Amino acid sequence: MENKDTFSGYNPLITFLFFIGAVVFGMFFVHPAFLVCSFLLAFAYHITVRGARGFRLLFGMLPLFILLSVVNPLFNTYGEHILFTYFGGRPYTLEALFYGMAIAAMFVSMMTWFASYNSVMTSDKFLYIFGKAAPAVSLVLSMIMRLVPNFRRKAEQITAARKCIGKAGSSGTKKEKIRNGMTILSTLTTWALEGGIVTADSMRSRGYGSGPRSSFSIYRFDSRDKALLAIMCILVAVVLVCGIMGGAKAVYTPALFISWFDNMYTAAGLAAYFIFLSIPTVLNITEAITWRILRSKI
Amino acid sequence: MAHFEIKNLTFTYPTSGGKTALSDVNLKIERGEYVTVCGKSGSGKTTLLKHLKSVLTPHGDVSGEILFEGKPLSEVDLRQQSSKIGYVMQNPDNQIVTDKVWHELAFGLESLGMDQKTIRLRVAEMASYFGIQSWFHKNVSELSGGQKQLLNLASIMAMQPTVLILDEPTSQLDPIAATDFLNTVRKINLELGTTVIITEHRLEDIFHASDRVVVMEDGKIIADDEPHAIGAYLKEQHNEMFAAMPSPVQIYYGVDNELECPLTVREGRNWLSDVLQDKEMKVTSLVKKEADMDDVGTPAIILKELWFRYEKEAPDVLKGVNLKVPKESIFAIVGGNGTGKSTTLKAICNICRPYRGQVLIDGKRIEKYNSAELFKGNLAMLPQDPQSLFVKKTVGEDLAEMIPDGRFSSEEKESKVKETAEICDILHLLESHPYDLSGGEQQRAALAKVLLTEPKILLLDEPTKGIDNFFKLKFAEILNRLKERGVTILMVSHDVEFCAKYADFVGMFFDGNVITTNTPNRFFSQNSFYTTAANRMSRHVFENAITNEDVIELCKMNR
Repeated sequence: MENKDTFSGYNPLITFLFFIGAVVFGMFFVHPAFLVCSFLLAFAYHITVRGARGFRLLFGMLPLFILLSVVNPLFNTYGEHILFTYFGGRPYTLEALFYGMAIAAMFVSMMTWFASYNSVMTSDKFLYIFGKAAPAVSLVLSMIMRLVPNFRRKAEQITAARKCIGKAGSSGTKKEKIRNGMTILSTLTTWALEGGIVTADSMRSRGYGSGPRSSFSIYRFDSRDKALLAIMCILVAVVLVCGIMGGAKAVYTPALFISWFDNMYTAAGLAAYFIFLSIPTVLNITEAITWRILRSKI
Repeated sequence: MAHFEIKNLTFTYPTSGGKTALSDVNLKIERGEYVTVCGKSGSGKTTLLKHLKSVLTPHGDVSGEILFEGKPLSEVDLRQQSSKIGYVMQNPDNQIVTDKVWHELAFGLESLGMDQKTIRLRVAEMASYFGIQSWFHKNVSELSGGQKQLLNLASIMAMQPTVLILDEPTSQLDPIAATDFLNTVRKINLELGTTVIITEHRLEDIFHASDRVVVMEDGKIIADDEPHAIGAYLKEQHNEMFAAMPSPVQIYYGVDNELECPLTVREGRNWLSDVLQDKEMKVTSLVKKEADMDDVGTPAIILKELWFRYEKEAPDVLKGVNLKVPKESIFAIVGGNGTGKSTTLKAICNICRPYRGQVLIDGKRIEKYNSAELFKGNLAMLPQDPQSLFVKKTVGEDLAEMIPDGRFSSEEKESKVKETAEICDILHLLESHPYDLSGGEQQRAALAKVLLTEPKILLLDEPTKGIDNFFKLKFAEILNRLKERGVTILMVSHDVEFCAKYADFVGMFFDGNVITTNTPNRFFSQNSFYTTAANRMSRHVFENAITNEDVIELCKMNR
């Protein structure tokens, strides 16, 4: 996966900031144009990361979108244009429907961004970002990440071993099953604690606690990272300013009011937002094109 | 100035009730020396090694002095000690702290507070020297045991220590990984001049590489000499440790001669040729009484064309395994690491269900047994890690757990437990916590637990892993006793020497299949690599000498 995605090849700080920006902005802007941007570009990026399999997410999201938009007016009865009434007088308004669609779009794009985040942001990148601030914390997190799958594997081992001496524990009354589970948990804890002593010895033997720690990271901050960071900062600033100045204002209920492109803040904000969100997709596509060109030259 | 100097060191553990763990130990280790420390379990080797590093020294009554590079060890600060004295422990898994290989390599350097540039350079240097580049970005969980131990070594070497202390580093590794590891340690000693202090049960690989061998017994050093001379001393004293010496040494001292003691198989071959130089070869093979494979009746276990893989997209692990294990025999399966031997045992236990093929226990298909029937009085498996079986606070309780409450009174229970404990020689350990036992004792306690299900077929997964020679002898005795009682034993092992001595039949596992099955005599005589050291040493003169005793006997017969 990493090979296909150029954007994740940049310094993790940039990747992280991007996702923070996408998610925070996505949560605050309900303007339909902004929502459409977010949705489209989230999907575009997801597909460049996951390939054709990304379309599966799209098909999964569609019913969710429809459900959320249709359900919202059932709870929100404000609005001017009433489409129909039900349950003896409860109005189903158009404005509420639009608002539902807006919320649904926001929800769906957020989920898509998170899906991409999952594929792109690995544990050691996350640790790298927090390692600088708190090296001790990042070490503990790294240890937890090693121990959790370890424990799971050991629990399976213990269960299998007990099965082979006739203490399967998968049969029996509920009480017996619980007791069996507790036995395995207690064995696992004992094993983990004993192992922990050896790990502690190993850490102290290599100087842990002998003085202040430094934090080693395998990621560098290249000039391309610096350039991208600068661009991202500018775009974020523009979007922020436009947002504050009301460029993304959209009110759905009780009456529809959406600031349109005659408002220059809207136009500028939308443009900056679009460019910001398209950064990863554009980077990936550019790289793919570059490869094609290079190959065709051979 | 010696690198390490230990003067009159006496140490007692606080809970041992007065029994000293180390008595008046005097030892001097020069720079660049390769020192091997050996001795039975409990002789004080680990305790002695732990005293060489302040953070690892156990609590207790200490008297005497330890000097590191001329200064008392207690005066050398933690940072200095961490970087100058490296310590590798037994268990590869527990020593690793982080989840990524590159992070683990940098761990020690981070703890010393070095700057990014230095860390980057040292990590790169170590990774190149150890050949770790191909798995540099991997998760630690994906590594094999040998790779993990190598990673531990690299992580310590990145701190550029002047002395490397290794406490039974290869006991949890298979023979090939162990040899690789020990060769790397030797390389470090020769190329970098790092002092090496190592303790091991398996002396074959390190005996010839050592400058000095130190033998410990009951907390005292009883011998401290060159490898050539140690054999003579131990033989003279009729010391038990003699049985731990490498095959060439044992064979040398079994035969009267005045030549120099061979330490390796190569030297052994030359020695053997010299000893039998002018003699006419009257007897070149021993007549051995052997079991007949075909004359057995219904085999206890039959495997017919077993196919198995762990996941749908994964490659096949078992590819049509065919196996017949005769009743009341000790059947050994040998083979390389990761070939599928343990998986075969799991398939027999029905933990791994093969998607094709049949498993027949005692003539009946395994699907026809229900789980209670199968594991009570029929089949039982001792897993690779015997610790996984212990769930209680004392060994006695663990054994009592195996006997269901309903059927027996408490006196009957106790007598059953005592009986089994006697068979396995752990009567004196019934009140200890299972995790406080040594490797060999844990093995026997786990075996006792398994035996309480009164199985007719016993499956053993790597029973001799990490066990010293004395426990191996005891273990073999127990197995023979069980065989006499009518138990069929199927074991999977890397330990070629153990299988050669005690198994009735040996099968070779390779590429998902049992390639060939034969009696140890015929099996090992045919192989040139996958065989005992005694066989490799004597192939050129004797046809079927498998064990040390065989070679000694044939030598005597021809003189």
